[in-house]
Amino acid sequence: MTEEIRMLGIETSCDETAAAVVADGHRILSNVVASQVDLHARYGGVFPEMASRAHIEAILSVIQKAMQEAHVGWDDLDAVAVTYGPGLVGSLLVGVNTAKGLALGRRLPLVPVNHLEAHIYAHWLEVAAEGAAPPNLAFPLLALIVSGGHTELILMRGHGDYIYLGGTLDDAAGEAFDKVGRLLGLPYPGGPAIEKAARQGNPAAFRLPRAWLESTYDFSFSGLKTAVVRLVQQHGGPLRGRTVADVAASFQEAVVDVLATKTAAAAAERGATAILLCGGVSANQALRTTVRERAGVPVYYPPPILCTDNAAMIAACGHFRFLSGERAGWDLDVEPGLRLV
Amino acid sequence: MAPILDDRSLEFISRSPEQTRRLGARLGQLLQGGEVICLEGSLGAGKTVIAQGIGRGWGAVGRLVSPSFVLVREHRRPTGHQRLLHADFYRLEQAQEVWGLGLQEWMEDPAVVVLIEWPERAPEVLPQERLWIRLEFAEETRRRLLFTAEGASYLALLRAFRRAAFGV
Repeated sequence: MTEEIRMLGIETSCDETAAAVVADGHRILSNVVASQVDLHARYGGVFPEMASRAHIEAILSVIQKAMQEAHVGWDDLDAVAVTYGPGLVGSLLVGVNTAKGLALGRRLPLVPVNHLEAHIYAHWLEVAAEGAAPPNLAFPLLALIVSGGHTELILMRGHGDYIYLGGTLDDAAGEAFDKVGRLLGLPYPGGPAIEKAARQGNPAAFRLPRAWLESTYDFSFSGLKTAVVRLVQQHGGPLRGRTVADVAASFQEAVVDVLATKTAAAAAERGATAILLCGGVSANQALRTTVRERAGVPVYYPPPILCTDNAAMIAACGHFRFLSGERAGWDLDVEPGLRLV
Repeated sequence: MAPILDDRSLEFISRSPEQTRRLGARLGQLLQGGEVICLEGSLGAGKTVIAQGIGRGWGAVGRLVSPSFVLVREHRRPTGHQRLLHADFYRLEQAQEVWGLGLQEWMEDPAVVVLIEWPERAPEVLPQERLWIRLEFAEETRRRLLFTAEGASYLALLRAFRRAAFGV
């Protein structure tokens, strides 16, 4: 029996301080996330200075907890994988510097991981959940990465082999959710709050625009956001319960309509064997259901804990980068604007 | 139409996002590095739209997209060490948090153009000298743009912009 490869993953690109141990790129031995969402929820936003400080305070105990829960010591680990971008510079630095120190001190290889790529690798993690991808997915695969900072359609032809099909020209889908959530007086983060409000609303109550950007796989949510601004302005005075629910439902439907249509079309055109929904917004139930209705191939989505930022996906992605021989030097720097393709 | 209010300000009504972008591109072409440009306006007023134009005129590789979530996005040209920094204070609630972005160093770097959306959320970190662009909803797709220069070099920039964009 061959020895399995155990990877420690570290993630601090934005609001979450996370560490995880994953075996052979798919078996989660532990997955620890210390979220700052509660901290930011009080203010409706993120605080770079506070985020860095919170990461520094949490990182070592989070790693320790991940190793304890996985029942591994330093000698049981084969490598350390860490997110080096994209993200907030101060937050990324905490993870990268910690990973460097640990890898150097414990003589372990250091594997640099792209946070966006890792969102796709969340699908390689074994979980017993509805919507989870089966093992041995066949390429090519179509990935829709939707989060606060990203909206991208990526064709994955193999491990580490990607083609960029399209992405947002202005606001990311998650950002539109957050801004509209704030506009409607809903709590932070806006995504789950809008989804919840939308359940009580009528998605046909307001006709909101969809930017189809024909013959491209690009997206634009800025016009939709502006339409909601006008709607609220014209209403005059704060919106009340029923109207908030109707606006939330109409807005969500407009976002989901465009995302689902383009994703299904891209999968068909590029001959993808399956669609992988990735990133925080892929936790949205309406998005999952609608993509499934429109796609001619299986649609997979990770459980919510693996949709939002976590370190298990970093370790999973790191595993495949490790197998392909990728190693970071001790001069590894953060890349806040890192792209996947 | 570009009514000239006085020597240090300029008003313009844009009829479309593309027109706003083109106007931004005229301004972007004039930027040498070291400038700070503040983009004020409510949600949907067109801050990112004019930033996209400025980036296009400046020669940025790729398109500028909203930095609200990531707070800052760094852009470069195909060659050279010059940078365009696109910052967004939308998610910030306390001025002191801006220090965590390292923005001060960027604003003092003569090779860097700094664009700031939602600057009014942290007025105390902004330099005294700057170009301020206020965007307002006029009606439907129209936007009123008000450019105001603070400081001698920005007065010169605004004059050059007026000549480039309106020939006066």
